[in-house]
Amino acid sequence: MTELGDEGIQILAISPDPNEKSQELARKLHARYRFLTDRDLAVTRRYGLLHAHGGHRGQDVARPTTVVLDRRGVIRWLRLADSIQIRPDPADVARAVRGLAP
Amino acid sequence: MIRYWPALLSLLVSLAAIAGYVVFLRVPAIRNHPGLYLIAFAVATLIAGAATWRAARWPNVAALALSVVLLLLGGYFNFVLARIPPAPTVLRVGEPAPDFTLPDASGAAVSLASFRERAPVVLVFYRGYW
Repeated sequence: MTELGDEGIQILAISPDPNEKSQELARKLHARYRFLTDRDLAVTRRYGLLHAHGGHRGQDVARPTTVVLDRRGVIRWLRLADSIQIRPDPADVARAVRGLAP
Repeated sequence: MIRYWPALLSLLVSLAAIAGYVVFLRVPAIRNHPGLYLIAFAVATLIAGAATWRAARWPNVAALALSVVLLLLGGYFNFVLARIPPAPTVLRVGEPAPDFTLPDASGAAVSLASFRERAPVVLVFYRGYW
């Protein structure tokens, strides 16, 4: 696992909620992570990941999604959830990241 | 009351399914397979159903009623309430991800393009307000 830290994988966890955390994924990949806030869901919308009125109080939220990009910014792995119960599995993501060409 | 052990077993299976899902919600293998609690409720229903078939006494009927209610509620939640409606695809494997700039926890602006040629990036979109 520690070799992934050398590759400098960057994890960006994005949600409209500034308090959301992605520590489990970061710990599994021993990678650098940052929590970004997409407060008005503009980026979420641009990515086609808006779940309109999907929140507990009817607010707009994001569809749980994991995207792996290579160093050229190209999408190499993609998982969109079709249920709110699904969260990205860190083991699946780690496997996809290790599969990227150096 | 020992003769009603199937009713008790049915009840325990239902309660164990609920407790197990809640307790292990943070474990991906459990969380990402919500069908497991439906299977448990179905098993509880079968146990109580078989017991009721043999003796329609109130403990058996009560256990059957409870497991059926849980199965229906769980099924409604899993197949209806929890569903995210399909949406037009924007992201495609093999295509570049749209660039963006968003603030991090300290307020600093982070641009996706800044990682190009430097590092692979994993984007994790969360619902928020979980």
